[in-house]
Amino acid sequence: MRIVFLIVLLCGAIFYTYIAFSDLNFMTRTGRLGPGFFPRLVGLGIVVMTLWAIVDALRDRRVIGAGGTDPYDMTPDARWRDFALLVALVLGYAILIRLFGGWISTVVYLGTALYLLNPGRHLQNALVALIFPTTVYLLFDRVLNANMPPALINLPF
Amino acid sequence: MDIFSDLVMGLSIAITPINMLYLLAGAMVGMIVGVIPGFGPSAGLAILLPLTFGMDPVGAIMMLAAIYYGSMYGGTITSILLNTPGESATVASTFDGYPLAKNGRAGPALVMQAVASFVGGTVGVILITILAPMFSQVSRSFGPPEYFLLAMMGMLTLIVMIGSNWKLGIISALIGFALGTVGVDLETGQSRYTFGSAELIGGIYFIPIAIGLFGLGELFYAFYSGMHRTGSGGLVQYDKESRFWPTAQDFISTRWTMVRGSILGFVVGVIPGAGATIASLMAYSTERSLSKTPENFGKGEMAGLVAPETANNAASSGAMIPLLTLGIPGSASTAVLLAAFLLWGLRPGPLFMSQNPELAWGLIASMYLGNMVLLAISVFAIPLFVQIIKVPYRILGPCIVVICALGTFTVHASFIEMWLMVAAGVIGFFMRLYGFSPAALVLALVLGPLAEEALRQTMTISRGSFGIFLDRPASVWIIVVTIALLLILPLIGRIGAKAKASGA
Repeated sequence: MRIVFLIVLLCGAIFYTYIAFSDLNFMTRTGRLGPGFFPRLVGLGIVVMTLWAIVDALRDRRVIGAGGTDPYDMTPDARWRDFALLVALVLGYAILIRLFGGWISTVVYLGTALYLLNPGRHLQNALVALIFPTTVYLLFDRVLNANMPPALINLPF
Repeated sequence: MDIFSDLVMGLSIAITPINMLYLLAGAMVGMIVGVIPGFGPSAGLAILLPLTFGMDPVGAIMMLAAIYYGSMYGGTITSILLNTPGESATVASTFDGYPLAKNGRAGPALVMQAVASFVGGTVGVILITILAPMFSQVSRSFGPPEYFLLAMMGMLTLIVMIGSNWKLGIISALIGFALGTVGVDLETGQSRYTFGSAELIGGIYFIPIAIGLFGLGELFYAFYSGMHRTGSGGLVQYDKESRFWPTAQDFISTRWTMVRGSILGFVVGVIPGAGATIASLMAYSTERSLSKTPENFGKGEMAGLVAPETANNAASSGAMIPLLTLGIPGSASTAVLLAAFLLWGLRPGPLFMSQNPELAWGLIASMYLGNMVLLAISVFAIPLFVQIIKVPYRILGPCIVVICALGTFTVHASFIEMWLMVAAGVIGFFMRLYGFSPAALVLALVLGPLAEEALRQTMTISRGSFGIFLDRPASVWIIVVTIALLLILPLIGRIGAKAKASGA
């Protein structure tokens, strides 16, 4: 997974550097450093360092294959599923906020999240799912006068 | 005497009902943030910064600073009661703090950590009061070449402190620089990496990235590590103890520890990149080597708790010196503070104290008051924080997501920024997992545009010659100091790592 992450990073770095060389000038017409100067340096730097990191990762992989230990795989309680669940909940929340606005989406999100993560404690989950969004709404909207997300779809209630 | 009159002026600005309310709120929130494992001052500042937009700049900066050093106070409570540091600067506090609690001395440990934090923080602020104007004077001659070199010094020293993962630290910093290039180039007006999007013309805003990396990223990592499944088991009970307050012997035996820890912590804190974590580990190591009973360290020795606590609070004060007088943040937390200053149109640096004396001295004065407030809160509100620790992470986690999302939205009422925050959260998780440095990324995102602007101005002044860096005495001194730091800091890091390994 680490190598996959590094390769994705490398692809991004190559794309960034390509734009820096193709679309952005190194110098301006008046002879000053142009908008492409810094991005070219940064892009090349990321590409070189990421390639170096990939080489290191492949070398480490060979060591692990020979009976060594992966320093990035030492977590005994790794929970990819729990991580993916939380990411899915967060993404769902972001979509809900856009559709239904701040308060309703927060109630639905918290209710769902607590149902999945804190199972069996229905009363506790319901209270948290109602009280917390209400408190946050009052704090943000009334006390701090901060923008709360508006709803794209206005519900009848 | 000028310093004294400036300080009195600062106190007159700080001691108003509304500013004191902001200070109290910031201190409480900072402690709460510090108590939540994994959430340090960086996350707290990033998440809560949007809430301060409607405030007066003086009050807002006071509140943010209170959150910053308040989180140092709060982070130790879990170190003592749960053997889980609230954030990295309180790791050293677990070495003797938890054993003290297990030996039935949780109450005295909690009170002594509050007193030690107060002493460290107050000594640090006194040193800021004396040294900040001097630093400011020295740096008045700085121009674009010096600013560029200072930005590079801040980045390089932070990367060096990362240790063995320095390559990944460099990549993290370069990613931050890359993100900082998105938007309109101020000199030529040309769009860079906006891909026709109106939202990106203003650039990638710092706050969604910081909230995503430090807030969501940390949360994702906590769930990946299974923290939400372990609950709050292992919490040492302290309310059944017969004695809550420390003995006179506790105070007497640690009086010089507090002095040493304060000075050491402050000096280390001034160095960009070193920070409170290194300061606390070094103070612990120093105290153990000076002790007549080093064999007691790690088994509940009060000096073993007091030393790192004094140092980490003094270091947080020390870190304000390069921020206020040079405009260079030395850590992710001070990078967020710098972003806050820039948001209000203020530019920390050599002229900051002379051009904005009410803000600068108001902030310094508020730090004196903040330390007193935090001492009182730390001692008398401990039962409240113990209740917060008892809230299971599986309930706390989803609630933190809500604060992150809504906090991000309030900045510019932008859904795009909310999505950026989510993306930064996922990236932050993988960065944390694979040894990258979110702190370096955030620092580079803040410093990158400043560094680029300074470099282009420098090249314009010098007509393209890099020799300008060697022609100016101030530049030469900065280069010499940077090289010295790059040689010394790995040694400091090794001392800290040794202390951590032997104390764990």
